[in-house]
Amino acid sequence: MVAHSPRRPRSRARRRAIAALRMLAALVLAGGIYALVSPNAQANAPGQLSAAAQEGRALYETSCISCHANNGQGVEGRGPSLIGVGSAAVEFQVETGRMPAAAQGAQLERKPPQFNSDEARQLGQYIQELGGGPEIAFQGEQAPKGDIAHGGELFRVNCSSCHAFSAAGGALSSGKFAPSLEPSTDRQLYAAMLTGPQNMPVFGDNQMSPQDKYDVIAYVQNLKSDTDPGGWGLGRFGPVTEGVAIFLFGMVLLAFAALWIAGKS
Amino acid sequence: MKKRKFDVKQLPAATAGAIDDRYKVATPLRSFLNKVFPDHWTFLLGEIALFAFIILLLTGTFLALFFEPSMQEVTYQGSYLPLRDVHMSRAYETSLELSFDVRGGLIMRQMHHWAALLFMAAIVVHMARVFFTGAFRKPRELNWIIGLLLFWLGFLEGFAGYSLPDDALSGTGLRIASAIVLSIPLVGSWVSTSLFSGEFPGEIILERFYILHVFLLPLVLLTLITVHVGLVIVQKHSQFPGPGRTNHNVVGERWFPRYVLKQGGFFMLVFGVLALMGGLFQINPIWLFGPYEAAVVSSGSQPDWYVMFLDGSTRLMPAWEIRAFGYTIPAIFWPTVVLPGLLTVFPMFYPFIEARLRKDKGFHNLLERPRDVPERTGLGAAGITFYLVLTFSGGNDIIADKFQISLNAMTWAGRIGLLVLPPLAYYVARRICLGLQQHDREVLAHGVETGIIRLLPDGRFIEVHQPLAPVDEHGHGELPYVGAPVPKKMNRLGALPPAVRGFFKPIEEPAPPKPKDREKIETH
Amino acid sequence: MSTGTGTGTGNGTGPTRFEVVRQGAREHDDVEIVHYEPQYPPGSKAEKRMTRIVSLMFMLSGLTAILFVLAYVWWPFTDWPSVDGWQYQPGNTASKGFTPILGLMLGLSLGFLGLGILTWGKKLLPHEIALQDRHDGGSDPAERALTGTTLQFIGEELGLARRPLLKVALAAPAAGLGAAALVVPVGMLIKDPHHPDVFFHTGWDPAANGGKKVRLVREDGVTAIRPEDISVGGQITAFPGIPEGNRNKHADSPVLLIRLRQDDAARLRENIKAYPTNAKFEKHPMVGDLVAYSKICTHAGCPASLYEQETNRLLCPCHQSQFLITDNAKPIFGPATQRLPMLPLELDEEGFLAAQGDFAVPVGPAFWEKPSERRDA
Repeated sequence: MVAHSPRRPRSRARRRAIAALRMLAALVLAGGIYALVSPNAQANAPGQLSAAAQEGRALYETSCISCHANNGQGVEGRGPSLIGVGSAAVEFQVETGRMPAAAQGAQLERKPPQFNSDEARQLGQYIQELGGGPEIAFQGEQAPKGDIAHGGELFRVNCSSCHAFSAAGGALSSGKFAPSLEPSTDRQLYAAMLTGPQNMPVFGDNQMSPQDKYDVIAYVQNLKSDTDPGGWGLGRFGPVTEGVAIFLFGMVLLAFAALWIAGKS
Repeated sequence: MKKRKFDVKQLPAATAGAIDDRYKVATPLRSFLNKVFPDHWTFLLGEIALFAFIILLLTGTFLALFFEPSMQEVTYQGSYLPLRDVHMSRAYETSLELSFDVRGGLIMRQMHHWAALLFMAAIVVHMARVFFTGAFRKPRELNWIIGLLLFWLGFLEGFAGYSLPDDALSGTGLRIASAIVLSIPLVGSWVSTSLFSGEFPGEIILERFYILHVFLLPLVLLTLITVHVGLVIVQKHSQFPGPGRTNHNVVGERWFPRYVLKQGGFFMLVFGVLALMGGLFQINPIWLFGPYEAAVVSSGSQPDWYVMFLDGSTRLMPAWEIRAFGYTIPAIFWPTVVLPGLLTVFPMFYPFIEARLRKDKGFHNLLERPRDVPERTGLGAAGITFYLVLTFSGGNDIIADKFQISLNAMTWAGRIGLLVLPPLAYYVARRICLGLQQHDREVLAHGVETGIIRLLPDGRFIEVHQPLAPVDEHGHGELPYVGAPVPKKMNRLGALPPAVRGFFKPIEEPAPPKPKDREKIETH
Repeated sequence: MSTGTGTGTGNGTGPTRFEVVRQGAREHDDVEIVHYEPQYPPGSKAEKRMTRIVSLMFMLSGLTAILFVLAYVWWPFTDWPSVDGWQYQPGNTASKGFTPILGLMLGLSLGFLGLGILTWGKKLLPHEIALQDRHDGGSDPAERALTGTTLQFIGEELGLARRPLLKVALAAPAAGLGAAALVVPVGMLIKDPHHPDVFFHTGWDPAANGGKKVRLVREDGVTAIRPEDISVGGQITAFPGIPEGNRNKHADSPVLLIRLRQDDAARLRENIKAYPTNAKFEKHPMVGDLVAYSKICTHAGCPASLYEQETNRLLCPCHQSQFLITDNAKPIFGPATQRLPMLPLELDEEGFLAAQGDFAVPVGPAFWEKPSERRDA
């Protein structure tokens, strides 16, 4: 739960309480719900929503409905239809704070999320039950174990062209960009590959099996957590920061040394 | 039997005598020891490059003991887990072994790479010093040309070395190099297939680059550096104008012992800085890039900084391809072949062009202050601006991404900046030079501003000036400008006492007050 | 001018060593030592302090050098006296400190040594100003004339001017050996780019595959691709399904296989009709909404593979050329001038994607004789 405004402590406390209640409900129901919802979930009629989906629907109707319309039908020019996008896409967009969008720009950016991850999953559940679509294949926060080396090969062929070798992101055309993967969780990485948010290509399960995705996730998380063996990595930006370093550190230091050496005192 | 006593004290003299008997070195040795060298901090910039080169030879020799420039395909089984079982060339595998399996190999690799960057950086800064002070003028034109060649040789040497590990980044650079070679009109495809022994990348290019990198280019570099430094010794170093300094003498210190001691100390500092950088700042982490594969690339792919200006020119070049009679001159030809050609030929002839324009046939052992030659300084500023716009454009995708600017806008900013900023830099630098000249002459004529404001009887305020020399009744002096710095502040004239020395506590006692002052103190 | 110096043989009345050196420098080497003054009075407190500082620097240098050696052998000292702790361990482990500690200790050691030497030179040695005549501007005219005459006489001795036959005869080995020196390296290195025609053939050429059309395979080099393997808005890097088709031996073969959205695919189909120069095909080159373009940029040969699935742009990260896929990979920004070559697709009898044939134009960067129109050979 993220506070919007520190000036309204009462409202924050109330929200926290509600969130705690929701979390409790979610925890109690979680096992049963996930067992009930099979991966090829068909669109249920609104009346047959699961409990989590009903929670999600309540959230949807306060925060999403103005752009995506009733029952995720979408509004021309404001928000696309959410029928068939699946829970993975919803979770990704909501958990990374991209949705609800602040404004329509060249590209939605990661920002502090407005909903916690349970709420994001409830929203996802609602959209999933509305129209089906791709889902994250594992429960919990951690992806199943993957083969780092194989993940690395997949990463270099498919991901590094935009996100860079270091997963620090890179520029795309006309102000768009591939974001840094630094803050990304396992679930977010999986959902992004599966759904291809915005300009990212979609890596469906036929192209990249869930195990392949776990491999990529393992590689990326290892890349992020592995300390650089050669000292400070200079942000892992490559030759640009190395060039800056040789001038700002090496040349400047030695120029001062030269000044001192040739100085009269 | 009387044993002849061996006199240790006589040993150095006896040895020296024996050597001189055979080689007659006393006279040249003494004149060498007594050689006078002028002292100015900018004269040490070229030495940074020289020292970096020595460190490159040392670390490079170490690397060569472990590196194998082979493109034979292997499967990695070393200690870096994320690349286990990956197919790669033997060259990349040995580079990884150097980084992870050879004790201290990584710091050697990193020091070698940092030293290469420092070598080029020092060359560029040194070149700027030589240009802006007019040190390239007669009789030193040849050394200027050799220096320029050293820049381009260092450029090639660096690129060849950068390509050797066969990681994805260097392979990308090599691919671009092959495109540059291909773009040469008429013979491009022939040169390319001959260089790579077939189609890119072939199987032999690394071995060819290796022999270039560890033998041919260092040999030429070493020879030219020897000639470069030798010419400085033979022609004696130029010096800035100043008291006692003329076009026909050198004012400074004898080479031995003090100057050489300083040189040795500076070498250790350069070595130390490179060791610090090699250990503390990671450079070229090839294990993150993976082996070179033709289908693999990373966003933010750049060459090392000294190649970046050509990458920048390539990025800024509009899509102008010339096609006629079934033949093509690709767009990449202009920024990567023609531009470097111009950047070699024009500076090479610049000393002669300038001498012709200034109708100057004299010998110049005294340097010029940049402000005294506004046109040259302006040209230099324009050149540096041109170079900087290109270099920054070589990293424009990183700038676009990290400062959230549109990539396309960065390209356009570079294109426009390349045309607009150099003339602007010329104009601004020239105006600044003229302004500084004006100020120098004002100070010489009127004296230094004291900061004391005086109210005249008629109500005007004037600032009191301290003349530098006797003045006439109007307060005007006749001091000529001799090309040396003019004192602009009162404490430069000794109007303020020097600061007491010592870091934590004074190492000199402040001078006791003069008796007259003491009387004053006591009477008050 | 001060000559205060404590050095010298000082045997009472004779000149000091400094005076001999100064006199000799003046008379033999044209060096006038005009100023020579110790920084501190010999034996003074300040001088002793400086001596201590210099000594401290040297000792610190030695100490850090010893630490360097210890770290080099025993880092990270955890399971002493094991010497293997420096080896690479993933994660945030002590092994990651090996290179930094070496650099720090070596840098400090060299730095202290440098500072010590410099302080010694700057502070403990007397400050001096010396003057030396340059004697530049060429040799003595008489010397110059004599050398010139000597050189001329050498020419006379050789007598080439008087013996024209020798001059002509000498041209023969000069020309012959010169030509040999030129011919051998060129002949050793030269490779004809057109026989075999390497720029015009890639791994997709059925002729090199025994006449069979070449399948598109994954990065593993063997897994063939079905149309349904790629989601809408997805892309896959495909290689020719021939031995070593995914290796650098076929560096110009990788393609980017893209599945467009239906309306974008329709737009592309329209545009392919209009601009067929980058492809040659019998059947329509797209399979459903799938299209394949060479991954090798037509500008400098980098993989142009930053595919934006909403704008259908393909960006090359090396020089920022941008290609619009829905306009048949037309370059719309940056330095690239030519479209990406299209690989015409079809489905083989088993339902896998295959290339109808090789690219119609040479893949990758342009060159002098590269045809701007496709070559129907």
